[in-house]
Amino acid sequence: MMRGIYAVMVLDLKRFWLDRARLIAGLAQPLLYLFVLGAGLGASSRLGGGDYQRYIFPGVLGLSLLFTATFAAITIVFDRQIGFFKAVLVAPVPRAAIALGKIGAGAAQAFVQGLIVLPFAPLAGVPLGFGETVELIGAMLLAAVTFSAVGVAFASRFSSTTVFPIVSNAVLLPMFFLSGALYPLASTPQWMQMAAHCDPVAYAVDLMRGALLGRFFFPVWLSLTVLAGVIAVLVAASVRVFNRGEDDSALGATKFNWRR
Amino acid sequence: MVDVRGLVKRYDKVEALRGVDLAVRAGERFALLGPNGAGKTTLFSILATLRAPSEGTARVLGHDVVTGRDAVRRAMGIVFQEPAIEQRLSGRDNLLLMGLFYGLKTAAARQRATEILTQLGLADAADRPARTLSGGQRRKLELARALVSDPRILFLDEATLGLDVDSRRGFWAQVSLLAAAGRTVFFTTHYMEEAEVADRIALIDAGRIVALDTPRALKARLGGGVIRLQTDDDAQAREWLGAHGLAPEPGGQELMLVHADPAAVLPEVLRAMPIKVHRVSVNEPSLEDVFLKLTGRGLGGDAPVPAGPRAGGPNRGGAS
Repeated sequence: MMRGIYAVMVLDLKRFWLDRARLIAGLAQPLLYLFVLGAGLGASSRLGGGDYQRYIFPGVLGLSLLFTATFAAITIVFDRQIGFFKAVLVAPVPRAAIALGKIGAGAAQAFVQGLIVLPFAPLAGVPLGFGETVELIGAMLLAAVTFSAVGVAFASRFSSTTVFPIVSNAVLLPMFFLSGALYPLASTPQWMQMAAHCDPVAYAVDLMRGALLGRFFFPVWLSLTVLAGVIAVLVAASVRVFNRGEDDSALGATKFNWRR
Repeated sequence: MVDVRGLVKRYDKVEALRGVDLAVRAGERFALLGPNGAGKTTLFSILATLRAPSEGTARVLGHDVVTGRDAVRRAMGIVFQEPAIEQRLSGRDNLLLMGLFYGLKTAAARQRATEILTQLGLADAADRPARTLSGGQRRKLELARALVSDPRILFLDEATLGLDVDSRRGFWAQVSLLAAAGRTVFFTTHYMEEAEVADRIALIDAGRIVALDTPRALKARLGGGVIRLQTDDDAQAREWLGAHGLAPEPGGQELMLVHADPAAVLPEVLRAMPIKVHRVSVNEPSLEDVFLKLTGRGLGGDAPVPAGPRAGGPNRGGAS
């Protein structure tokens, strides 16, 4: 089991390393939010320009983690159609190890991407002290695992690469906007605050913001419990999908079948 | 080695396998031959533990492919039709990773990769990204990948599809060495000359095994030789031959006649038949002829076999 998880992670991280140029490209989106949207909205925000950028920095970090982790999960959809994984599926690797390895590898990729966004903190007016950074890194790790589990739980249910981005946008963007990443949840309408309570991204962003700026919306114990719970449920769900029976007769004879 | 009994596989409405029985012996090169849609891929997937049978049982090396799945997976190596190597990684990295998936420690996996690459003559190309290799080398790399588990049985599914003749020969030379070393090889192919090297061949059609024998014995079923005629009026010629105690094969677009002694009967036919004959050919029966005789259809697909002179083995491509 452990060797299987390790093998999946080595494979994915080797491939990730080949695509390391993507880390730089992956900076575009968070920096755009931080310095363009942040500057523009900040100018008309009650928080004031500099304060606003500082406020959304943890949110933008969350954005980066969320999109990197779920993008990493898409490889499941590709893999299942063609490539090395077809050979992996006939190797004696427990399906659960594949699910866990995928989640681990996705989390690692997201975390690395987040670390690359981190040095921009001072530019956004966020001072990085030692204590804050340690707390932040802990929160980032938790967030990365959560988002990767979200991505894998979704990706393992789709067989087509065309469906997945659509679904993920219909799910990811709402989760991001409801998370309070771009505005204080305390000043949003009641319904939005209630929705945020159901959004794992909100807890993850709140933990990161709290670590950096010392302001929490949710109690820390609640955030930690919710994220741990979400990870547990999604890991279990992914393992179940990967483990499902060895056959799916709804698929044609020529289609390779992952959801077994 | 492989023991299949009463295997039935149904997809929603289609019955892909309708009761397949076959047994593959240890150390044998066993070919599964049939047109597209005959059930080759389904049977292959079931043996490879990728699909479960609807009815019947399949055992590989004594392990049931459903209940003993992991044991089967540990003991076999597979080359798929489609590439199953990571094209951006080097051959060595691919094999190393595969070793990890088979539970080897990193050092052992590395050593195993080097051994296999040397054995297959890929050592020089081992450190380049796989996509930069030639088609033949890439296929050999697939074979190398299948060997990482040191399998006692190798499954090859149309493993040389699309390769040029030289690369195919190189590939099969390796497979023959592996078979000579005692590994069992179970393969499907479209290329007749590849099937000829098998120790035994199962002909599969519409989900059933229609014949299972050595290539020589299969061809001997036809006896003698195959006479092909091109005439002014094939339909009339067919009728005339039938009326004179000869039995042309009903299927196919061309006029084909299997006879125990073509040399004895042909001069008489040419002299006596009132229809003008343009062209005559007499061949040893090919496996394609056997298949045509047994099923009334060619191996190339569902369509009738197109007319035309065929000296050696016809090879029609196309994925299954």
